[in-house]
Amino acid sequence: MARTKGYPEALEKKLADTRLYEDERHPEFTKTVEKISMTIPHMCYQCGTCTASCPSAPRSSYRIRKFVRRALLGLEDEALTDPDLWLCTTCYSCTDRCPRDIAPTDVIMAMRNLAFKRDIIPVNFLKTVQAIYTSGHGVPNNDVNRAARKKLGLPADPPTTHRFPQYIKGIQYILDYFELKKNADRIVKEREG
Amino acid sequence: MREYAFFLGCIAPNRYPGAESASYKASEKLGIKLLDLEGASCCPAPGAFGSIDLNVFYAMAARNLVLAEQMKKDIALVCNGCYKSIWEVNHKLKHNKELRDGVNEVLKGIDMEFKGTIDVWHLAELLYDPAIVGVQKIRDSVKVPLTGTRIAVHYGCHLMKPRKERHFGTTEHPTWMEEMVAALGAEPVEYRNKMLCCGAGGGVRGYDLVHSLDITNEKLINLKEAKVDALTEICPFCQLQFDRGQIEIQEKFGVSYNLPVLHYCELLGLAQGMTPQELALDLHGISCEPFLQKVL
Ligand code: SF4
Ligand code: SF4
Repeated sequence: MARTKGYPEALEKKLADTRLYEDERHPEFTKTVEKISMTIPHMCYQCGTCTASCPSAPRSSYRIRKFVRRALLGLEDEALTDPDLWLCTTCYSCTDRCPRDIAPTDVIMAMRNLAFKRDIIPVNFLKTVQAIYTSGHGVPNNDVNRAARKKLGLPADPPTTHRFPQYIKGIQYILDYFELKKNADRIVKEREG
Repeated sequence: MREYAFFLGCIAPNRYPGAESASYKASEKLGIKLLDLEGASCCPAPGAFGSIDLNVFYAMAARNLVLAEQMKKDIALVCNGCYKSIWEVNHKLKHNKELRDGVNEVLKGIDMEFKGTIDVWHLAELLYDPAIVGVQKIRDSVKVPLTGTRIAVHYGCHLMKPRKERHFGTTEHPTWMEEMVAALGAEPVEYRNKMLCCGAGGGVRGYDLVHSLDITNEKLINLKEAKVDALTEICPFCQLQFDRGQIEIQEKFGVSYNLPVLHYCELLGLAQGMTPQELALDLHGISCEPFLQKVL
């Protein structure tokens, strides 16, 4: 039969071909991703339901299924240096639909955490850290808004760290504990001078 | 009167104060009193902080949770992003001892300890829950019914998804928000791909604005097709993306929709008789006038 002609030999050959990224594989990467993400990318059977559900897929080369595959194969460099890693909106549609009960969204988050350890991170993420370190807010108050609040009968500043800045110390302690501010400042400076 | 510590987040108080103001007033009419949560901060932004270092994300959210634990009050909030941080970290720390111990090791330095003594709720779920408020009471509180208007709902992502970790049922085609819209006298309108994300989350709005707006634009095209008078949501970050986003879409893609975008609390306040001034609707990027003319 035509379909199976030469089949065993072809299969043997294919199986013997270990060129496929073997030297780029880091099995410990799979384990680290699974530990941080608390999900199970090694269960993925590549059905593609995740990519089909993804709002970022139709407008970019970002393919969530590919990242889950990279997690499974331990392709650390390929995963962490791909700029598409940052196009996930964390909408969790893939997670809700994955027939293998994997949370691809959390795989992405774990990979982003690991990328940050290598200073791979878009600066807008770090600017949010800097804003919170200073004011407690990622999106702080401003004068136009203060005036509008007063007109509504609200205090000019909300009862958050804005009105009670003594609480900012605690936030700075947490961010310093993880050396996050220091690293954010350093990376932003390297990128933007 | 049920009392909750009101976790404000950033965008409601600092960009759409009318949504904050309406939350106090509208919920008070329905038996919910929202108390100041002194010293709260950004939740922290789940996209930014979760991406950088989940341990920082847990510790920062835990600090906000401890403030409410000290008040001995459950938290109520009006933002899906805040829900993701505050609800989810509360849930994770309550059920994962290793995580909790790690977080408490950090919090020790600022004399705090996460104990897991409170719960976290989105105001929308409290309003919908018949044991707390319920659709009937919402209907009874309406003074200016939004009759004759067609309103679509954007549910957003982080309240209901991931479905298995939450308690809201289907995330493919929910209709509970539509019931709450109908209670205000408006006609809730379905549209194509309703559960699609607004495009702002995960740090994408900051990382690649055009990519993020392109997702928003797809939703706006679908909403236009359904001929709606307004879009309502329960997340100030989605609100920002749809409202200010329409101006950016006009600049970048040259298309305009002029679709008014209102937080459900603003809509509820309006139906209960608050004026557009009391809701600071003039701060919105897209004018709500055409919608208001149909209502008032
Ligand atoms: S939906 Fe699940 S099983 Fe299917 S490709 Fe994506 S991660 Fe793998
Ligand atoms: S969570 Fe991320 S990867 Fe999954 S569908 Fe949404 S944008 Fe795509």
